Amino acid sequence: MIKITDLEKFYRTEEVETIALNKLSIEVKKGEFVAIMGPSGCGKSTLLNILGMLDDPDSGSYVFNGVEVAHFTERKRADLRKHNIGFVFQSFNLIDELTVFENVELPLIYTGVPSAERVKRVEEVLDKMQIMHRRNHYPQQLSGGQQQRVAISRAVVNKPKLILADEPTGNLDSSNGNEVMELLTDLNEQGTTIIMVTHSEHDARYSHRIIRLLDGQTVVENIMI
Amino acid sequence: MILNYIKIAWRNLAKQKLYSLINISGLAVGLAVCMMIMMYVAHEMSYDRFHKNADRIFTPNVPMSYASAPLIKQNQPLVEAYMRTLPYFNENPVVVSDPSSPAKKFAEDKLLFADPGFFTFFSFKLLSGSASDVLSKPFTVVLSRDMAKKYFGTQDPIGKTLVIKTDSAYTYQVTGVAENAPSNSSISFSFVTSCQSLLVMKQASRYGVGPQQMTYGTFNVYLQVKQAADTARLVKGIAMMAKKNKVFDEVKFSFTALPDTHLKSGAGDSSNIKYLKIFPLVAVLILLLALVNYMSLSTARATLRAKEVGVRKVSGASRKTIATQFYVESALFTVLSFALGYLLCYLITPWFLNIIQLKIDNSFFYSPIVLTLLLGLLVITALIAGSYPSLVLSRFNPVVTLKGKMSKQAGGITVRKIFTTLQFTISVGLIICGIIIDRQLYYFRHTDTGINKDNVIMIPIANSLGENYPAFKHDIQSLGGISNVATSHYAMFKGIDMFYVNGKTKDENVWIVSVIANSQFITTLGLKWKYPPAPNTELASRKKIIINEAAIGQLHLPSNPIGAFIKTGNEQIEIAGVLKNFNFSSMEYAIQPMALSIINDTSAFYKRRGCNLFAKIESHTNIPALINSMQGIYKKYDSDAPFSYTFMDDAFNEQYKAEDRLASIFSIFTYITVILATLGLFGLAAFTIEQRTKEIGIRKVLGASIASINALLSQDFLKLVLLAIVIASPIAWWAMHNWLQGFAYRITISWWVFAAAGFVAILTAIITVSYHAIRAAIANPVNSLRSE
Repeated sequence: MIKITDLEKFYRTEEVETIALNKLSIEVKKGEFVAIMGPSGCGKSTLLNILGMLDDPDSGSYVFNGVEVAHFTERKRADLRKHNIGFVFQSFNLIDELTVFENVELPLIYTGVPSAERVKRVEEVLDKMQIMHRRNHYPQQLSGGQQQRVAISRAVVNKPKLILADEPTGNLDSSNGNEVMELLTDLNEQGTTIIMVTHSEHDARYSHRIIRLLDGQTVVENIMI
Repeated sequence: MILNYIKIAWRNLAKQKLYSLINISGLAVGLAVCMMIMMYVAHEMSYDRFHKNADRIFTPNVPMSYASAPLIKQNQPLVEAYMRTLPYFNENPVVVSDPSSPAKKFAEDKLLFADPGFFTFFSFKLLSGSASDVLSKPFTVVLSRDMAKKYFGTQDPIGKTLVIKTDSAYTYQVTGVAENAPSNSSISFSFVTSCQSLLVMKQASRYGVGPQQMTYGTFNVYLQVKQAADTARLVKGIAMMAKKNKVFDEVKFSFTALPDTHLKSGAGDSSNIKYLKIFPLVAVLILLLALVNYMSLSTARATLRAKEVGVRKVSGASRKTIATQFYVESALFTVLSFALGYLLCYLITPWFLNIIQLKIDNSFFYSPIVLTLLLGLLVITALIAGSYPSLVLSRFNPVVTLKGKMSKQAGGITVRKIFTTLQFTISVGLIICGIIIDRQLYYFRHTDTGINKDNVIMIPIANSLGENYPAFKHDIQSLGGISNVATSHYAMFKGIDMFYVNGKTKDENVWIVSVIANSQFITTLGLKWKYPPAPNTELASRKKIIINEAAIGQLHLPSNPIGAFIKTGNEQIEIAGVLKNFNFSSMEYAIQPMALSIINDTSAFYKRRGCNLFAKIESHTNIPALINSMQGIYKKYDSDAPFSYTFMDDAFNEQYKAEDRLASIFSIFTYITVILATLGLFGLAAFTIEQRTKEIGIRKVLGASIASINALLSQDFLKLVLLAIVIASPIAWWAMHNWLQGFAYRITISWWVFAAAGFVAILTAIITVSYHAIRAAIANPVNSLRSE
């Protein structure tokens, strides 16, 4: 599903150039659950941003579903993203001014799903995530665990092929964290490919494979049994 | 999707109440001023366009004789129809009464004599009577709706009679009632009567009905041509006719289209033409300021919306969708501001019109032209208001914003600095202009004009007082509190006559101002002699004249011209004295050459034409009681013409009404711009300081004082205000220098004007910024450090 080859990304200031990704090559197959680990500054988030088409690499190849996307325009990336990728963030990133229902509905609006269909799909997802009773609440009225459930609902409502999760349990206690990991595992079992950046060995154990990065390069890959 | 945009916009608006209030009210004030001025300009531009054939009606640049128009029609096949009008003019007021109750009489103006087809040629609406024959007979009159109501109340006035006293009293039959002339008509009337009435009046010759050829006259002529493009040929044709008649050889003959007469022919109120040049510019500046305010605050708030933009982008929104969202948001703000602005405009327009002394019909405010303009304003405002914020917000990178790494300087900080500088540049510029206009007006009022105009009452005397004038004057002089009395043809500052003096060569005529007065005029007005007449000179003589200093050079006279002669036509007149220059007209103009002819109070001239009495009042006199006594005496001698009076200093000040109104409006505009700029700075400072809470906390922990924090936070804004002063000063100097060139007597622009304007701007900025800065500085640093 995903194949990146010799991917490079630099961050430049006037005086310093930092290498975030150094000729990185990774392949992720359809239906895999991959965890990316590594110390701070090793390039995990940069990799996730590029995989999510929020950022573009300086050089190298990124093939998504058989299409080279490394140098797509912002518009093309946005279009590909909205139909194929869902995001889950450590800090949930819900819009405070929208209700739970409206937050989850957002990706469907941008993909042009008709209103009646939107209501049906959002309710389905909220029901599945067991937060239907909170549909009219605002994010600040929810607990951290509930907020992350909403964020996951939003990520899956469009039935994406890939979910990118950036430390999804980082802001949660262990009980809520486990629940979130169970949800992601369920989604993976239903066929969704998941790539998750994490610092937690515990969370990483939910994945099929762990890719460990250091200074923008793969240092080791662990296959989970 | 639009609904989603509106929903989130509304929630944001409700959440950020203070900023929403500043944003909406600021834009509303700008829009209100803009709407008001737009309506005023539209009204000025719409003059006479309501006539069906407006584009084909032309009027010559000179009034013509009664016979001219038919002669032109006869000789020029391009002319389809003509119309002559004569707005009644005389020193004596028109007095109208209803013969059934003769005691009820009113002095009226706006009596218009017109050809019979007046209501078919023009598109004035006739409420009753037949347009084709309401004025077909002499001594028939059509009343305006207001006049019909005034004289006949709810009764039908058709067939009833009115006595209208012009040079003499005549009885007119009411044949029609017309809708009041619209406020955007250059032809106004209260009474329209048939021109044929003039022909049979006692003093018909005074109205220029005599000459049977095409020549100058007193009638306004309107020619309706077949096609608007025919006018060039028509001008040529009429010039040929004029050449044959040997008239118009000195005048460059031209035509003005009826809709252009108000602004181009100089017939309109010249002060309004002045405003028409200045106000649209000010309106654009104020709207720009309000828009800049809006954009500045919206982009400042953008940092708070960064996460939302990021989430939307990762949820599939393209840059275009985000830009559209913020456009919709701006449109919502604009619509709310527009609604509030319209309400404000509705409330302030009567006050504005009162200041510029203009009447605009209520119906005009709902006319298609005004509604179209308002819609255009709404669309343009929404487009501009949304442009920059949507550009900035849609550019946010989700990678950065979702990580909460949004730079505090992001969201176009440089552009916001430019915006703030621009706002203060406009404010400082207007403050400078306002001070200079004010100084110039002060100068007009307080400079020695050579006339002692304080405590002088001027009473216009109608010719109906006739023989009784000397007796009336004597009675006035006998009143306690009157120190001096004088007579002249016109009241001061209310009108002048000119006559020509033969120049050096045969073809050179020098036009000089003619003042006709009695011998007490000089002492009553406190005029000073440059070269007094020889003792025992009889000044009241047709052969003697007094001139002013300005006339010496103009008439090529010796430096002391006493005893020298000037010639007007074949008549030789001796110069008996020279007065020091005094301003007998507005100080806008340099003092012109003037000649004062002395005639006695018993002269037939005053009896025939009426005159003006000057009464110098001693100080500490009970003026209301004195005026009451004067009125009593006046009524004793003249029961026809109403008693009226003016103070000479008021008449003098009246000359500067255009500048006065300009100053009033300018000061209001200045307040508005300063308020808008302050509002903008207030909002911006609040945001900037809010974003530096952590820094302020750290500085306090490290020992910074409140004053030093205030200084730190204020200095960034003060730099911008200082820059604004530097930019605004030369521009304002240039604009005001040009404005002052229009006055013969003017002030020099002093440095302190710029210093004062700068001081006001700096003080405003310091107070505005300090309010937030001190609040942030006195906050507990523990809280501010926890805030991040």
